[in-house]
Amino acid sequence: MSRPARFSLKRQLLIWLLLPQLVLWLMGGALAFRVALAYAEKTIDQSLTQSVRSLARQVKPMGSGLLIDFPRAARDIIEQDPDDRVAYMVSSPPGSFLLGNTKIPGQTPDLYSPANEPVLYEVVMDGKPMRVASIDLSFGDGFTDQRMRVQVAKSLVAQQRIARELVRDVLFPLLILGAVLSVLVYEGIRRGLAPLERLEAQLANRNMASLSPIEMTQAPEEVHSLANTLNQLLTTLRRSLSQEKRFLNDAAHQLRTPLAGLISQTELAMQEKDPEALQQRLTKVHTGAQRSAHLVHQLLSLARTEAEVSLVPVDAASLAREVAREWTRRALAAGVDLGFEGEDSVMVPADKLLLREVLSNLIDNALRYAGKGAVVTLRTTVHNGYCWLDVEDTGPGLSTEHLERVFERFWRASELPGGCGLGLSIVAEIARRHNGTATAQTTLPHGLTIRLELPLQG
Amino acid sequence: MAHLLIVEDDELLRDGLCAQLVHAGHSVSSASDGAQAQSLLESTRFDGVVLDLGLPVVDGITVLIWIRQRLAALPVLILTARDGVEDRVQGLNAGADDYLTKPFEMAELLARLQAMLRRSRLPAFGGSLEVQSSTSKSLRLDPVLPLGWLGEEAMELTHREWSLLSLLVNNMGQVVGREDVLAVWQTAPQEGGAAGSNALEVYVHRLRRKLNDSGLSIRNVRGLGYMLESDTP
Repeated sequence: MSRPARFSLKRQLLIWLLLPQLVLWLMGGALAFRVALAYAEKTIDQSLTQSVRSLARQVKPMGSGLLIDFPRAARDIIEQDPDDRVAYMVSSPPGSFLLGNTKIPGQTPDLYSPANEPVLYEVVMDGKPMRVASIDLSFGDGFTDQRMRVQVAKSLVAQQRIARELVRDVLFPLLILGAVLSVLVYEGIRRGLAPLERLEAQLANRNMASLSPIEMTQAPEEVHSLANTLNQLLTTLRRSLSQEKRFLNDAAHQLRTPLAGLISQTELAMQEKDPEALQQRLTKVHTGAQRSAHLVHQLLSLARTEAEVSLVPVDAASLAREVAREWTRRALAAGVDLGFEGEDSVMVPADKLLLREVLSNLIDNALRYAGKGAVVTLRTTVHNGYCWLDVEDTGPGLSTEHLERVFERFWRASELPGGCGLGLSIVAEIARRHNGTATAQTTLPHGLTIRLELPLQG
Repeated sequence: MAHLLIVEDDELLRDGLCAQLVHAGHSVSSASDGAQAQSLLESTRFDGVVLDLGLPVVDGITVLIWIRQRLAALPVLILTARDGVEDRVQGLNAGADDYLTKPFEMAELLARLQAMLRRSRLPAFGGSLEVQSSTSKSLRLDPVLPLGWLGEEAMELTHREWSLLSLLVNNMGQVVGREDVLAVWQTAPQEGGAAGSNALEVYVHRLRRKLNDSGLSIRNVRGLGYMLESDTP
């Protein structure tokens, strides 16, 4: 089975679960690294400050000179670590070398620093980054004010080593944890989506012939409601398909019967010698042909109601008068008084062609069944936000049990010629398409009224 | 009465149409496809055409457009088996004067053809409105001035009476709605008195008196309007 790979739920879940985690972990690692580094720096700064203070204490002014008491032991301690050598320098005035193991540059720019306050800064010496603690001291006899500077520097190599170790110790476990988590997330998604795959497998087996409901016994809530909705759809589809099938069978019967009649009548007519009998046969042929034409028209309009309708504001009263006028001649020929009563203008959202079809069908029905001398009245009434389109006749009407069946397809109350039992089912279908209803009731004292109830244009 | 061209490819229907139209007193020529129709139209003068839209070789719409380019005033009634609106609109847009959807009743076709031919004899084509009644008197109306004749006798007509009668004559055998009459009166000169529904009844009453014994009568169709019809003897 091929499927479009454009959108995968699994991929989306993986991306959205793992990507934020990766970002979060990386940020956490970076933060931990920064914090550790800051602590390391603080430790170095503290020890440097201490060293520079103790060294400064060993320098004492003697008259106009300086006495530096720097015991061997102290020097050994300072220069203890050969890799991470501590450099020191005493200078007076600041910058001019007096004593030390390395010449340490001053802070750039060489700002005036307050006496007895250690200053911390970084310099590069011999291509290596160094952290420097520097303290300035004042001495003199009151007439000549002199300054002396004591500096101690420590390489930042140690700090960088700490950083490297931190990266190794933090990042490696993070990577392993991440990998484990990815596997867990992937497995979780796979398990979570498994019901969907089962659903897919079940649906793949469905076709027009087998539209039985999907069985979902062990499925999570979300998939259950999806399966339920699908089951409802399948049920509707199954019902409508069986309806279509029944309709097609009925229609085939209804179409074939008059054609068979036509063929047999024409065959008889061709053999007929007596002109009067021939005339009778021809009349039957004519009636049969008219019935077929009517049926084809009805079937086609029924097919048209299946298509999408677009509702636009239509003046139902004006349309009713227009359609009634078109039927006037046939009404006169049938000896029926066809008229109109009610509102001059009622706007309803409708498909004009379909509404015209409804009115034509209703008038056609009334003329057919009400009989000579009957009065057929189209009436438009506005009632509670609805437009009533009534077609009322004073014909024989229908019994109560027949009233309930008039909207069924191919159901006919009488065997009067010309009808095909589709007219009113088309009316009901079109009413439904207009969010309205069609009802049949008895006109008093006798007769039939078909009422189309449509919502008014809002 | 008139020389008509029937263009229809279905032989059964063409044959039936020709026979009925001849029976109704017209002289008829027929063509079974568009190309044949075009060559007939080039060689002969016709008063009207009945044209099927679904034709082989050259289809109906093409023939219709072709006719409109050459014979702008020739009345054309189209026949179509498709009942979608687009089809009718396409036909009317291409210049058809009227249409009928198959299957139709012959009486309907004859009435439509009559109306179409009557309209084509309007002033623009140098004619006058005329209807034959069941008696020998014919009703004639001047298309521009409020004048009318019943047989040889001149009728006295006010402007409103004349415009109402013109509307009825133009749509003889069909119902003319009240709103249609009132719409025409809106554009006509004022004549005193309200132009409402009551006024319409008054005018119809007056016309009925004037048409007395003419063989023509105005039928009141309940709630729908009025219809001019020829009395059945």
